[in-house]
Amino acid sequence: MTSPFNDLFETVLPDSRGGRIYFKVFELFVVVSAIHLAWKWAGYIPRLTDTVEPVGLAAYINLSFVVDPVVAWGMALALTASASTGFVRIRLLGRYGYAVAFMLMLVLFAARFSQGKIPHSANLVGMAVLALALGMLLFRNAHDRARFVLGFTYFYVGLAYTLAGIAKLVGTGLTWPDGRHLWMWINEKSIDVFAKYGQLDLNWVQHLALDHRLFATAMLTFGWVTELTAFLLWWERFRRPLIVLILMLHFGIWMSMNIMFKLSIFELVILLLPLPMLIDRYGEKSARSIVDRLDTLTARIF
Amino acid sequence: MVYAALVATHYGEFWPFSIYPMFSQGGSDWSRTVVREIEDVDDVKWAPTAVSELPGVAYPLTPNGVDPIDLASFISKTHVWDEDRKLGLQSTFLPVIGDKRLLVFKVDGRISPTDSVLISFEPHALVTRESVVTNPRFGRE
Repeated sequence: MTSPFNDLFETVLPDSRGGRIYFKVFELFVVVSAIHLAWKWAGYIPRLTDTVEPVGLAAYINLSFVVDPVVAWGMALALTASASTGFVRIRLLGRYGYAVAFMLMLVLFAARFSQGKIPHSANLVGMAVLALALGMLLFRNAHDRARFVLGFTYFYVGLAYTLAGIAKLVGTGLTWPDGRHLWMWINEKSIDVFAKYGQLDLNWVQHLALDHRLFATAMLTFGWVTELTAFLLWWERFRRPLIVLILMLHFGIWMSMNIMFKLSIFELVILLLPLPMLIDRYGEKSARSIVDRLDTLTARIF
Repeated sequence: MVYAALVATHYGEFWPFSIYPMFSQGGSDWSRTVVREIEDVDDVKWAPTAVSELPGVAYPLTPNGVDPIDLASFISKTHVWDEDRKLGLQSTFLPVIGDKRLLVFKVDGRISPTDSVLISFEPHALVTRESVVTNPRFGRE
């Protein structure tokens, strides 16, 4: 087996047109997602009046000043500006743009979610912003930077899911996949849907899991094994199968517990797609074909 | 050491955009909140009830701009209903409450000894534009 360092940072991205376009697609997704989250959080923060349980930075710094709508919207605006300067690589400012965006995102996140419960959907996007920030600060060469950002992202995705699996082992032990635990979560999440929309409905997967403990246990076992083995995606040969398994895990979470980690799923799909190879192999041919057709069309018209 | 570095310091999961363990503790009791819109405040019964006997009609939180997870956390972590807490609860609904009377239920789920999931709905507070009345069981602050 090769060194994971090699698979994560050396061969992770070809130095080609396809590689450059692919990285820009990934970067655009991260920037747009971060801006989307910032405005979403800033829009909700002014409704909060009391901190129930401080998270992240809020545990160390009093963030009550962010509750002021002007401050919250101002921070979202500043994040939009700083992430955009990073994306378009404006001189000097661009180098620090993502770092500033990351810090602002941390503050907005802590201010928004110091209510006791937090979602996990911002996790992969937030860490991808950190990867971009570090990449811009540490590397001058564009290809080195892109390799670092993608390698860091693959490393973190593997680490995060594996730690989630370990946390289950620590929190519950080997009995974690007991189907009765899924029953509890299905009921809990059904009440969430009831609270959100006023209707209490179960889908066929939820019915199947509630009726058959073995099926519920199998679902949890699959998810847990996938999480515990997620670190294998540090190696290129396991990367795509593991990402497909993680996407299946998310599909199972969605069907059984009505939780859709949209941004994480989009990010995983981008990481899964063999875009650099496809662009390099077919992109030039397609571009030439489009130009030829346009020439023919123009000749016919004129 | 690995546990201390990667798990214990971060409550079991990922820092910095995901701190609390998600589904780490299987089979734990849970607590949520649902809100009902009622017609007559005099009809409020403060005793726990079942889903089929909930009074009034459902007051859906999402279309009204209230985050159900935040609300559930606020309710379950409030042990003393002082004026600040009452104001905090009221302000959650103020932009959309109008003339409505909203009865906030704490919903608790647990596994029974016979392997079924038991869910109880207990009214915690009646919220109107003018006031917040809490379940007398909690005493008067």
